[in-house]
Amino acid sequence: MEERRFRLQLDYIKLHRNTQIGYLFVIPSLLVVTFVLVYPVIQAFLYSLTPEYSEDSEWSLENYFNLLDDDRFIESFNNTLIFTFFTIPAELLIGLVIAVLLNKEFRFRGIVRVAILFPWALPTALNAIMWRWMFNTEFGIINYGLISAGLIESKLNWLGKEPLAMIAMMSVSTWKTSSFMALLLLAGLQTIPKDLYESAEMDGANGFKSFWHITIPLLTPAIIVSLLLRTMDALRVFELPFNLTDGGPLNTTETISLYSYRVLFEFVEFKYGSSMVIIQFILILIMSLIYIKSIKNIDY
Amino acid sequence: MQSKIRTKFLIYFLSVVVVLISFFPIIWLFFTSLMPAKDIYAWPPNLFPSPGTFNNYIKIFNNSPELLRYILNSTIIAVFTTVTIILFGGLAAYALVRIKFRGSFAIMLGMLAVSMFPNIAILPAIFIVFKKLNLINSYPSLIIAHTGLFITMAIWILANYIRTIPFEIEDAAKMDGCGPFGIFWRIILPLSKPGIFATGLIVFIFSWNEFPLSLVLLHDNDMRTAPVGISLYPGEYSFPWETISTATFLSIIPVLIITGIFQKQIIGGLTSGSNK
Repeated sequence: MEERRFRLQLDYIKLHRNTQIGYLFVIPSLLVVTFVLVYPVIQAFLYSLTPEYSEDSEWSLENYFNLLDDDRFIESFNNTLIFTFFTIPAELLIGLVIAVLLNKEFRFRGIVRVAILFPWALPTALNAIMWRWMFNTEFGIINYGLISAGLIESKLNWLGKEPLAMIAMMSVSTWKTSSFMALLLLAGLQTIPKDLYESAEMDGANGFKSFWHITIPLLTPAIIVSLLLRTMDALRVFELPFNLTDGGPLNTTETISLYSYRVLFEFVEFKYGSSMVIIQFILILIMSLIYIKSIKNIDY
Repeated sequence: MQSKIRTKFLIYFLSVVVVLISFFPIIWLFFTSLMPAKDIYAWPPNLFPSPGTFNNYIKIFNNSPELLRYILNSTIIAVFTTVTIILFGGLAAYALVRIKFRGSFAIMLGMLAVSMFPNIAILPAIFIVFKKLNLINSYPSLIIAHTGLFITMAIWILANYIRTIPFEIEDAAKMDGCGPFGIFWRIILPLSKPGIFATGLIVFIFSWNEFPLSLVLLHDNDMRTAPVGISLYPGEYSFPWETISTATFLSIIPVLIITGIFQKQIIGGLTSGSNK
């Protein structure tokens, strides 16, 4: 009895001491994360509840009601959604093709793997600047290529015409991030045991059949994770429109992030701008929860 | 047999397309930087710089010395962010996967959740705080911001590497009287060198590339980072392209070199967390 109590006490002390050291090791990280991420989001929420224009009350939803009447905000919201819903499937498709390609053994595979890493590794802001020159109406290589191939007859004003600017922005984003998608999917592909394919082949399944019945189901978790990461990124896209189109023409490529940046730092309306970033925050939260729920629904 | 040849052909064809599309804008940027202005503003465009010239590079160092300052700023920020994250994040990752104290799982999940916060959402409050602290336009503000922004991802990658270190080594060190910090410093850090290296590279690239916070926190001309400085070059659209392309190419060289040499480590680090 005496001994058991002693042991329990010892275990408790051990646990306690470990917990203390555990906290000690985690505290620097927790502090910086709290200061940089948690506190600012809470603070932004509080700002958003402080009326920007009226003085009669301390707290109100005024900023949020004003958002509904702000056509430019509604448009930026729509632009962000349109941008996300078109680029993500394109990236997934291209990423999947590259991942399947890289999962095959062939000479020069290493070169392909390095090549796709570069668009991802370069700063988006500078990528956008590079592409801005390529999309130039008068001297741009893209117009030259399209005219030479006979696809268009005269020079297109890519960054200054309404649907074209959005298409240009989507293309640059797809170019930049399909590779990231491919790498995540490739890591998923490599965990699928090869003998599954061999036995499927013995059962007479062709390449397409085994891709559809083995690869896709087993890859689904990796697909959802990469979709989650990319969707969150696409919903907060900022430096791409900032540097490629400046939100134009007529704000048709202005995203929520770009418009809230302008409200915050150009119009200096911090409380109103905060309500925008909170809406964006909620949008990203909802999307993430949908993905996370769909991961949980997959049964193995 | 024929279908095998067809598959082979398809593989090489796709490879060539992927490589060309990935590299083309970078090569085009490099070519443009080697052309004199009259060759840049030409229709049809000149496909190769002939004859190539380094005049743009010489000119940029004479006419816009601030570019070197931007690159220096970016380097300082990225290096300090990386070192801080490895130190803080390494300690946290070790504690979270090995000490397994009460609440460690909740902290791990919480870290994952806050890493999803959109960076624009933190802009207003963080700007006001740093303004009150008088730290706008100083290195610490952006180093702290980048550390907070990327440390959660770093902890996840590091935790995956630390998990692979055998318990026996740790136990042996414990027997020899090593404390938790001693174990971390003498055993965990040296043994997770590949993981630390990969994490460091990724954090460095992320910090070098980060835009919105750099734009807001360091907005004075001589404090700007390279991506911000170049995108805010005066005149925006009227600014000569030979200068912009040269400046852009110069400021992506560090990332090009790091990515080219250490691609295996970067890919390993990026993908280690996604399958968990």
